[in-house]
Amino acid sequence: MNKKEITHVQCDGLAVMKMVKHCHEESQGSMEVAQGALLGLSEGNRLEITNCFPFPKSTDETVDEEEYQLAMMRRLRRVNVDHFHVGWYQSADVGNFLSHTLLESQYHYQTSIEESVVVVYDTQKSARGFLTLKAYRLTPQAITMYKEGEFTPDALRQLKIGYEKLFVEIPIHIRNSALSNIMMSELQEMVQEEEGSHFLDLGTAGVLEGHIRVMMDRVDELNQEANKFNKYQQMVMRQEQEKHRQLNKLTQENIARIAKGEPPLPEEDVTKQFRPLPVPLRLNPMIISGQINTVSQHINQFCSQSLAKLYLTEALQGAKETKETK
Amino acid sequence: MSRFFAGGSDSDSESSSEDEQINKVSQPTIQQVVVYSDDEDVKRVVRSQKEKRYEELTNIIKSIRNHRKIKDIGSILSSFEDFTRAYTKAQPVIIKEEKGIIPRFVIRSIVELEDFINVTWEDKDGRKNMSKNNGKSLGTLRQKFRKYIKDFESEMKKFRENPDQGEYEDDEEDKAVEQDSDSEVEVPKAVSFKKEVTVKEIKPKVAKPDDGESDDSMDWGSDSDTSSSSEDEDPTDLRKKFLKKTTEAEKDEPEKAREKKPKLTRPRKEVVAEPEDDDEGGWETVPKYGASEKPKMFAKDAEIDIHIVLSKLNEVMSNRGKKKTDRKLQIEFLHELKTIAEQHNLGAALAVKIRFNIVSAIFDYNLKISEPMKIEYWSKLLEVMADLMKLLLVNLNDIKLSESITDETEEYETKPYRLRGCVLTAVERLDDEFIKLLKECDPHSNDYVERLKDEVTVTKLIEQVLKYVEVQGTPLEICRVYLRKIDHLYYKFDPNVLKKKKGQFENRTSVDEMEKLCHFIYANDNTDRLRTRAILSHIFHHALHDNWFQARDLVLMSHLQETIQHSDPSTQILYNRMMANLGLCAFRQGNIKDAHQCLIELMMTTKPKELLAQGLLPQRQHERSVEQEKVEKQRQMPFHMHINLELLECVYLVSAMLLEIPYMAAHEFDARRRMISKTFYQQLRSSERQSLVGPPESMREHVVAASKAMRHGEWKACSEFIVNKKMNTKVWDLFYEADRVREMLVKFIKEESLRTYLFTYSNVYGSISVPYLSEMYDLPKLKVHSIISKMIINEELMASLDDPTETVVMHRSEPSRLQALSMQLADKITNLVDANERIFEAKQPNFFQRNQGGYNRQNQGGNQGYNRQQNFNQNKRQGQQRNRMQKNNYHQQQQQQQQTIEEKLE
Repeated sequence: MNKKEITHVQCDGLAVMKMVKHCHEESQGSMEVAQGALLGLSEGNRLEITNCFPFPKSTDETVDEEEYQLAMMRRLRRVNVDHFHVGWYQSADVGNFLSHTLLESQYHYQTSIEESVVVVYDTQKSARGFLTLKAYRLTPQAITMYKEGEFTPDALRQLKIGYEKLFVEIPIHIRNSALSNIMMSELQEMVQEEEGSHFLDLGTAGVLEGHIRVMMDRVDELNQEANKFNKYQQMVMRQEQEKHRQLNKLTQENIARIAKGEPPLPEEDVTKQFRPLPVPLRLNPMIISGQINTVSQHINQFCSQSLAKLYLTEALQGAKETKETK
Repeated sequence: MSRFFAGGSDSDSESSSEDEQINKVSQPTIQQVVVYSDDEDVKRVVRSQKEKRYEELTNIIKSIRNHRKIKDIGSILSSFEDFTRAYTKAQPVIIKEEKGIIPRFVIRSIVELEDFINVTWEDKDGRKNMSKNNGKSLGTLRQKFRKYIKDFESEMKKFRENPDQGEYEDDEEDKAVEQDSDSEVEVPKAVSFKKEVTVKEIKPKVAKPDDGESDDSMDWGSDSDTSSSSEDEDPTDLRKKFLKKTTEAEKDEPEKAREKKPKLTRPRKEVVAEPEDDDEGGWETVPKYGASEKPKMFAKDAEIDIHIVLSKLNEVMSNRGKKKTDRKLQIEFLHELKTIAEQHNLGAALAVKIRFNIVSAIFDYNLKISEPMKIEYWSKLLEVMADLMKLLLVNLNDIKLSESITDETEEYETKPYRLRGCVLTAVERLDDEFIKLLKECDPHSNDYVERLKDEVTVTKLIEQVLKYVEVQGTPLEICRVYLRKIDHLYYKFDPNVLKKKKGQFENRTSVDEMEKLCHFIYANDNTDRLRTRAILSHIFHHALHDNWFQARDLVLMSHLQETIQHSDPSTQILYNRMMANLGLCAFRQGNIKDAHQCLIELMMTTKPKELLAQGLLPQRQHERSVEQEKVEKQRQMPFHMHINLELLECVYLVSAMLLEIPYMAAHEFDARRRMISKTFYQQLRSSERQSLVGPPESMREHVVAASKAMRHGEWKACSEFIVNKKMNTKVWDLFYEADRVREMLVKFIKEESLRTYLFTYSNVYGSISVPYLSEMYDLPKLKVHSIISKMIINEELMASLDDPTETVVMHRSEPSRLQALSMQLADKITNLVDANERIFEAKQPNFFQRNQGGYNRQNQGGNQGYNRQQNFNQNKRQGQQRNRMQKNNYHQQQQQQQQTIEEKLE
C-alpha cells in the first residue's frame, strides 16, 4: 500500500483548461457548484490527470448520471483518451468547499478507486489572478471514521483525528507538452507591455472583508456547536448527580434492610433508570473548524501575496515615473 | 324563520313549527278522502272539539301500541309523526280545556314509546337482525323522539314518579275510546285490502277534490267551531292508513315496494298544488283573527276619552312580543289610535305616549338584532321620532318622562303630566339602527349617500333630545346624550378650525364644541367608559385638526396606553383609530419620530385593517366561528368613518425610512444594532431579494426605491420617489394642506440624506467644505452647519468644524470597514473562547482541588485520560485562535500601511 501512496498529481494543461472553463461557466452568478470527472492514470506515486469531462447539472432529471458517465468514458476511449477514472473536480468559492457532501463523495470515490483525488478549483480567487487548483485526498483515519459511521467524541479521539487530519493536500504539477510550451513563450512575446496590469489591482479591502465575513459566520456556527456541547456536558453532570443521589439513597435503604434482615435491593434498577444521553456529534464542528482553518490559510496567503503585489506596483510606478521624466 | 322565533320571543318553540305542520296535516286527509269517499256520509257526527282531538290522539296512540307489539318500526315512525301533528293541533284545545295540563294518556304513551325505543336501541342483536328499513327508521325515530320529548320532560318525570295512578284513569278513558274506534277498525281494514288498486288508479284525479278540500280547510281556519267533515274524518283515516301499511308489509314485500312509489309522489304533488291555498287558510288567517277585532276598536257611539284610549293602547301593547301578533298591523293600529286621539284632542301626554309606543313598535318590528330595519320603517321611525321630540320640546316643562314612573302612577289629565318612558334610550337605539343601516349598504353605491343624508336628521334628533335632557335629565343622562353627539362629531373635519388658527375665522368651531361636551363628561361622568370614549374622541378630534400638542398632552395625561387592553373591543377600536390619527397628525406637524411611535403598534401586526375595524381579513382555516364573525361584523366602522389605510401605511413607511436609513448608515458595523422598524426592514429585504427591480408601481415600491436612493445620499432621487404625481394622487392629496406637508417632507429628506451621506462616505473624505455640501443638498449653509454640529455633539461623526475655511475636517478615528469587521470577528472569537473555556471547566470541575486532596477522584477516574486529551486539543485550538486574532491585528496594520501607500500612489 505504501508503495502506491500518491505523493503528487501531474495535471495536463488541457485538463486544467477544461476544468477552469467549466467551473467559470457553471458557477457564475449562481450558487451552484460545478462538478466533473477526472480521467488519467496512476503511475507509482504519481497520479496523472490527462483529461476530464463535466457532469450534467444535477437539476436535469432526464439524464441518468451513471449512464452518462459510462457512455462518456466509452466514447472518450474511442478517441484514444485515457479512460481510467482517477477522481473528480469541483468548483469552490474562497475555500468553502469543505462540507459533508464533499467528504462523503470523496469517501465513496476513495473506497471504490484507491488512487482517486478531488481537485478543487477556486473560481473567485482565480478570477483575481491567482490560479488556485488543489488536490485533496482523505486520510486513512478519515476513511475509517466514515466506515464506522461514528462521530462521537470518543470515536474521534480513538482515531486521533482532528479537522487538520481529514484531508491531505497533494501537490499539483501542471505539465504541458513541449509544443504548447513553445507556443506559450511565443504568445508571451506578443503580449503588450501594459497588458495584464489589471492583475495588479490590489482590491485588498474587498477580499479581506469577504474572508472575514465568512470567518465570522463560521465562528458563529462553531460557537453554537460549542454551546451545544456545553449543554450536553451540563446535562450529563446533572444526571450523574441525580444518579449519585439515588445510589446513596439506595445504599442507605439497603443498610436498613440488612439490619432488618431483609435482602438488599439490587443497584441495577437505579442505573437502568438513567439512560445515557445522546452525545452531540463532532463531525460538524470538525468540518467548521476545517473551514475556519482554510479561510485563515487563505487570508495568510493573500496577505503575503498582496504585499508582494504592493512592492511590485511600487516598483512599476517608480519605473514609469522615471520613464516619463526622461 | 322558526330559529329566531325560538330565541327572540318567549312563545314556545313548538308553535314555530305549527305553520308547517298545518300544511302537512291536511295532506293525508285529502288522500284518504279520495279513497274512502263512499264511507264518508255514514259517519258524519258532530262532536266537540276536545272529543274530536282526543279521539284522534288516542287512535294514533293505539296504532303506535299495535305497531310496537309487532315491532314495525317504520310504521311507528310515521305514526309518531302523525302523533306530533295531531298533538300540536290539539294543543289549543288542551290549553283551553285543560288549562295547559297535558292529558295523562298522552304522557303515558310518550313514556311508553320512550321505553320501547330505548329497549330496542339497546338490544343490539335485535337491531342487527332488523330489516334495513326498520333499522333506518329506528334511528330517525329515536332522533326525532328525543328532540320532541324535550318539551314534555317535566311532565314525563312526574308521570314516572307515579305511573300507576295515571294508568288507571287513563285506562278508563282508553276503553271508552277503544270501544268507539274498534268498530271502525274492522271496516277500513277490509276496505284497504280491496281498494289498494284503486288508490293507484284514482291518483291522477287527486287534483280535483283538492279545490274543495282547500276551501274546507280555510273554513276551519277562520271559525274553528264548525268542525268540517273532512276534519272529522281525520283520525280514523289516519288509522286506516297505518293499518293498511302494516298489513301490506306483512303480506308481500314486492307490493310494498310498488306501493311506496306512488306514496312518495303523491304528497309531493299536493304540496305543489296546495301551499298557497293552505297558507291563506291555515297561516294567514291567524293574524287576521287578531286583527279583525282590533280595527273596530271603539264602538261607533262610544264616547272617546283618555281612559278608553289608554286601555285600548294597553290592550294593543300587551300583544307586544307575542308570537301571533302581526307587528305590521300593530304599527298601523297604533297610527290609527294616534289619529283618533288627535281628532278628539286628548292632550299632549297621550299623544306622547302613543308616539312612544309607535317608536317601540317599529323597533320591535325587526326581530333580528344584527340585521338593519327596512328602509320604509326607518323613514317612518325618523318621522315619528321627530314628531315626538317636537311635542316634547313644546311641552318641555309640562311632561315628565321617566323610567321610574310605573304604569299606575302615570298622569295624563292634569299638568304636569307624568309618563313612563325614556327618550334617550329611544334615540340611542335609533342611532344604533342608523349605523347598522349604513353598514348594510354598499359604501360605493348611491344608496350609501342617500342613507348618509339621514345623518342630518339623526343629529338633529340628537340635538333635540339634548335640549330636552339638559332641562329634564340627570347629569348621567346628559353625559350619554353628549357622547352620542360626540360620536357624530369627532371624526368630521372642520376647515374653520384651521382658519381660526390663522385668525381668519371668529365663530365657534367644532373643536370648541368638543371641548365643551368633553369637559362636561370629564366632570360629571362616573362610569369611566363614557369618559374614556370621550377622551379618545377628543384626542381624535384634536389630532384631526393638527392640534398636536393638545392631543399629545391629552394622551399622556389620560394614561390610557396602560389600561386600554382591559376595555371593551369597541373602545379599543376607538383607541386604535385615535392612535392612527395621532400618528398622521404628528407626521403633518413634522414630528417624524412621534408619528413612527404612534403607528408602529398598528403596523407591526400587519393587520391594521382589522385593528381599525375597517374590514375583516379573509378567513383562514376556520380561525373564527360563525358567531365570532358575526360579532366582528357588528363592530365594523361604517365606511364614511374609515381612515385611509394606504395613507396610514405610507406615512408609517416614510417616517420609518427617515429614521431607519441614517441609523443604518451610522451603525453599519455595529453588532448590537437593532432595527427600528421591522415592517420597513421586511419591505427593504424583499426588494433586495428580487433579482430584477423594475420602476416602482405601488406605494410601497415607491418608498423602498426612495430608501435605496437615500442610502446613497441621493436626496433628489429620493424626494422624486416620494413626492410625485402617482404618490400625490395615491397619498399626499388626502391631507388637508398637502403642499405644506410635501414641502416639509422634502426638507426632511434633504436633511436625512445629508446625514446618511456623511455617515456612509465620511471615511473617504479628509475634509469636506460646507458650502459644497449646502449646494449638494440644496440647503442653506446655516442648516448644514447646524446638522453637522449636532452630529458632532452626539458623537455620531468624528470630525471638527473649521470656521475660517468653512470645512469639516474628519478625524479618521473611526475604524475603517475592514477594521470594524475585524473587531466584530474578534468579539465573536472571544465568545467562542469563552464557550470553549466553559466546556473545559465542566470537564475539570475540580482542577484546583485535585492537587490538594484526592476528593472525588474515584468518580472521575475513568474519564480523566480522555479529559486530558480533550483539554490538550482544546488548548491547542484556543491557542490557534489566539494566534489567528493576532494575525488579524497584524493584517489590520498591514492594511493601514497599504492604504497609506495607495493614497500616496494616487
